Amino acid sequence: MKEELLVTSAHRLRRRRRISENVNLIIFLLPAMFFVLVFIAFPVLYSGFLSLTEFKFGIDKAPTFIFLQGYIDRFTDDSLFITALVNQAVFAVSYFGITFLASLMLAIFINEISFGAQAFQVLFYLPMIIPMSLAGITWAWLLSPINGFTNTVIRAITENPRFMFDWYQEPKTALIGLVVARSWKMVGFTLIIFIAGLKGIPTSYREAARVDGASFWQEIWRIILPNLRPYMLISSIWILINSLKVFDLVRVVTEGGPGIRTYTLYYYSWKLAFERQDLGQASQVAYITALIIILLAVVLNRVFRAETAERA
Amino acid sequence: MAAQNLAYRKLSRVFFFLVLVFAVLYIFPVFWMFLTSIRPDNDIHKFPPTVMPKALTLSNYLYIFTGMKGFSRYFLNSVVVTVSTVLIVLMASAMSGYAFGMRKFRGSGVLFMLVLSVLTIPYIMYLIPIYIMEYNLGLTESYLGLILPYVALNLPWGLLIMRGAFSTIPLDIRDAAIVDGCGEFRMVFQILLPIVRPAFVTTTIITFVFAWQEFMFASTINKKNNWQTLPVGIVWIRDELQTMAMGKVGAAIILSILPVLILFFIFRKFFIEGLSEGMLKG
Repeated sequence: MKEELLVTSAHRLRRRRRISENVNLIIFLLPAMFFVLVFIAFPVLYSGFLSLTEFKFGIDKAPTFIFLQGYIDRFTDDSLFITALVNQAVFAVSYFGITFLASLMLAIFINEISFGAQAFQVLFYLPMIIPMSLAGITWAWLLSPINGFTNTVIRAITENPRFMFDWYQEPKTALIGLVVARSWKMVGFTLIIFIAGLKGIPTSYREAARVDGASFWQEIWRIILPNLRPYMLISSIWILINSLKVFDLVRVVTEGGPGIRTYTLYYYSWKLAFERQDLGQASQVAYITALIIILLAVVLNRVFRAETAERA
Repeated sequence: MAAQNLAYRKLSRVFFFLVLVFAVLYIFPVFWMFLTSIRPDNDIHKFPPTVMPKALTLSNYLYIFTGMKGFSRYFLNSVVVTVSTVLIVLMASAMSGYAFGMRKFRGSGVLFMLVLSVLTIPYIMYLIPIYIMEYNLGLTESYLGLILPYVALNLPWGLLIMRGAFSTIPLDIRDAAIVDGCGEFRMVFQILLPIVRPAFVTTTIITFVFAWQEFMFASTINKKNNWQTLPVGIVWIRDELQTMAMGKVGAAIILSILPVLILFFIFRKFFIEGLSEGMLKG
């Protein structure tokens, strides 16, 4: 009788403890889950829904369901979207080229330096802490046609007005000007990836090559670059994904102009939503952008994984 | 070999100067902005312009604090929004990081993957629904209107970092504390949190830098001076003054990056680690 009582009370105690542990678990998870569900999961689903509708905020009472028609219209009947897509592609390719080559070159140089390498690394990293919008103002001022630095210097050399132009209002240079400003902020980051990669190459590889009489450039070409491949892939993923997310710069420096020369996907979506109040179209553009980004990440990750599997 | 080594030393010197030249060019835009901020307006805008200043002054810095209402308010707003975001993210990610890292429960793997999948989704997808939601709840034009999405966007990163830190703690520590009769909450906050302090610093830095720099949400959700943060506020200052008062805009930019710069020099290692993880943002 007594024993039975003891067993049940122990059982009850254990059960009570398990319940309280479960309650604790829910409490521990609650704040994070609240934010993730309300501000992330719901928005993703809701903008997915909006992208299947026609909905002008403040004009239409409720969204009208049109299924995929909106997506079809974007590609077949929206020249501004195609322009944004093309601009985005040009932006991505040149941004990738500049950022990748500049940081790779700097990393190789810094790796060979025996003095002050750390300090240089920090210095190249510094633009990362400047907000993109303010970096935009800084570049616009540097290149400003009225008393900006570049044109002041050019004026000192030649009075010919042909060489003094407004970089961000000139159709030919506006987009590439934005690319330069954005690369400026990114190079310090990919530099760190490359330097980490270079540090990981065993010195014995290079010493062996040197004993065999390899020149410095042969070392770069035959030893350093092949060993850096995984790091190149990682930074390619970073740069490409990053390149699709231009908004601040366009908004602050060119506002999509001159004309529509610097419309990008983010900017076009934003413009549709918050100036034309067209939430359906804006969501379609946002979803297409997201799909491109996710696809890119998945494909590059695949490539990357295949690459590492091959080495292992 | 000896000749080769000599060649290498020479090459190293060449590289040093190349990098030095690059570094100077690299830092120049900021330096030019700084130079502008300490020149009097008539020196910046004289004709013909000169690269070197003819006179130096601190009047721009004085002006943005005393003569201009906007800047101090934007600064305050940035501090309020950033600090609250950081505190909430730390709290929530420590709690859930503990749950994912040290407690076994059904579905934890799936749930965690779900949270992580968020990391690849570009922010433009959240912007429109969050704006509509906040508009309907009357949260636009408020601190909360920025703090809530900022927390949501940074939490997955915090969770990722915290879970990693908690899962390295031996479960014995936790079991011993529970056997000693320590409640679970007290154990987490008093015993485990000091152990994961580095993760706290990294999370703080990622979140701080994000909230201090964020532009897209801030410029969309808040349209009034009272609640605007620095990255948008300074753009407004520029739009208002036009290019004829670049000295003041320059001073505002320099002052606005100062807090992060100071943090950067204190926690350099954490910065480089933390921002590397946070680069997928945007």
